Amino acid sequence: MGLILFYFRKLFTVLKNEVLVLPSRVVVVFFFLFLLLLPLFTKDPYLLRIFTLTSIFAILAASWDLLSGFTGQMNFGHALFFGVGAYAAALLNRHANLPPWGTIPLGALAAVVAGLVIGIPCLRLRGTYLALTTLAFPIILMGLVFAFPDLTGGELGISGIARLARSRVADYYIAVVLMLGLCTIMWKITDSNTGIIFHAIREDELAVRASGINTTRYKLLAFCLSGFFAGVSGGLYAHFMRIAGPSTLEVSLSFQVVIWAIFGGIVTIYGPVGAVFVLFPLLEFLRFWQDYRTLMFAGVVLLILLYMPDGLFRWLRDKIEKECPRCKIRNVAMRHTCRVCTAPLD
Amino acid sequence: MTPSFLEIKGLTKNFGGLRAVNNVSFSMERDQILGLIGPNGAGKTTLLRLITGILKPDAGSIRFMGNEIIGRKTWDIVNMGIACTFQNMRPFRRLPIIANVMVSCLSPRAMKRGEWVKRLEAKAMDALEFAGISDMARERASTLSQGDLKRLEVARAVATEPELLLLDEPFGGLSPAETDLMAKSIKRLHKGGRFGRLHSEGPAMIIVEHKLQWLMKIVDRIVVLNFGTIIADGTPDEIVNNPRVIEAYLGRGEI
Ligand SMILES: Nc1ncnc2c1ncn2[C@@H]1O[C@H](COP(=O)(O)OP(=O)(O)OP(=O)(O)O)[C@@H](O)[C@H]1O
Ligand SMILES: [Mg+2]
Repeated sequence: MGLILFYFRKLFTVLKNEVLVLPSRVVVVFFFLFLLLLPLFTKDPYLLRIFTLTSIFAILAASWDLLSGFTGQMNFGHALFFGVGAYAAALLNRHANLPPWGTIPLGALAAVVAGLVIGIPCLRLRGTYLALTTLAFPIILMGLVFAFPDLTGGELGISGIARLARSRVADYYIAVVLMLGLCTIMWKITDSNTGIIFHAIREDELAVRASGINTTRYKLLAFCLSGFFAGVSGGLYAHFMRIAGPSTLEVSLSFQVVIWAIFGGIVTIYGPVGAVFVLFPLLEFLRFWQDYRTLMFAGVVLLILLYMPDGLFRWLRDKIEKECPRCKIRNVAMRHTCRVCTAPLD
Repeated sequence: MTPSFLEIKGLTKNFGGLRAVNNVSFSMERDQILGLIGPNGAGKTTLLRLITGILKPDAGSIRFMGNEIIGRKTWDIVNMGIACTFQNMRPFRRLPIIANVMVSCLSPRAMKRGEWVKRLEAKAMDALEFAGISDMARERASTLSQGDLKRLEVARAVATEPELLLLDEPFGGLSPAETDLMAKSIKRLHKGGRFGRLHSEGPAMIIVEHKLQWLMKIVDRIVVLNFGTIIADGTPDEIVNNPRVIEAYLGRGEI
């Protein structure tokens, strides 16, 4: 009993000293709570379906940010990892009869291999050349899919895959918990020493080499990590939709990922995740407006890009918080002095 | 006969029709500080870039502590113990200063030597302290002045704990007072020893510099490059009185 009280107190102090001091942290806590508690209030299958898909795509958008935002390796063919994850999971399920908890990790490993396959030729490329080359890979794979319809189902894809879980609510929880967990892991990676090297490679690759760092290894690591997370998302998608088709490799999906990430703010991880949670449901709810849906969508994206070039969530965060000029700790925008070093904030 | 610490033979590099480094040969010992001077465009930076493997030579060999280093990757060369700074400063602009140095601290060489250091940040901080910019550790590199960027370059290079340090115009853009500080830091570094958690091997150095009067105070030998060719090699006193050197500088209308 005393132990429980002890942990309860500890939780309370952490909450008070670490979370409540910054509005962005409070928002993150509410975001977690909202997603984890939602099914207690509604079991509407349509709503749960939307949030499940949103979670799946949030993993995809965050994984793009890890590679292209942080490491600066512009990937315009991110659908490749998603498609490889989806097809690999589907094939393993259909032919080897593996359950989702086996196929999804193996599908993600297949996407890691895909990361190596495209990472190695891309090592020497930069900027536009890199973007164009990466764009080509999912198209090549799509060609292979159509070339071997017996195995891949061609245009129709592989259908009849096992469900992710028995119920919609279970599906929802698997997707949401994985999304929260994996995105936290990605955020932790970017916050680690490896993350510093990723940042530095984006800023100036030559200077990183001259600091004694094997940039080849770290760039490949970024491709593999990004591939892994995107592959998980592809596998989840295949089992949730119960189909893996050529649409998972489409150019439009690759671009969609880029739009999400830039809309939310790259080099943040939380930006792309938040963006998917705004844009994906928005696109669904605009559905009854069929004719103008895409136009509205493009309008929203354009507005954001014009007025908030660093992305929506960066912009919001800078509105509610400011950085102390002396110690660089973030503070609530309303404060006049820094909460740590008491320097004046202006 | 033991091999020289650094031995360069017949090094040549062409950029299209331009021969930037022409059949350069010299060697230096472990305890030397060597000044490398020459008029603008003489090929000094190119020579340093050849040593660090950023550029590949068209001919010649570079042996460092008995090993051929041509053809090796830049990071391998750095991990063998050669560190360099960039003349046109290349900081990671959007990262805090401390993170700039932590990249060097994360190199295999620095990690192996600093195994006993629990917190990398502390070691990076000592490198900043050494270069005299530790009070700005949390600032982004993009906010730094020219002089502070120079010091950041030095801090980054020193953090890999090199045996041979190549400095490309360490005094460039510094005020006289800052130059004085930098010159003292360089001398202190050459003596070797501990700076907090950072260990200085007392590296040998090659210093490229246009401010000759400062350079003279630090180096014990000067190599003069003109049009990619070595035209003089000797003690500072010999160099200032060498007619070929005076002509090379006067010929271009600068002193
Ligand atoms: N990447 C390059 N491509 C083509 N030419 C180059 C390149 N780098 C240098 N050069 C040329 O090679 C010659 C030597 O340049 P280098 O930068 O080595 O001179 P430097 O001695 O460092 O001059 P400074 O004192 O101005 O720094 C110059 O004529 C320069 O224009
Ligand atoms: Mg130069």
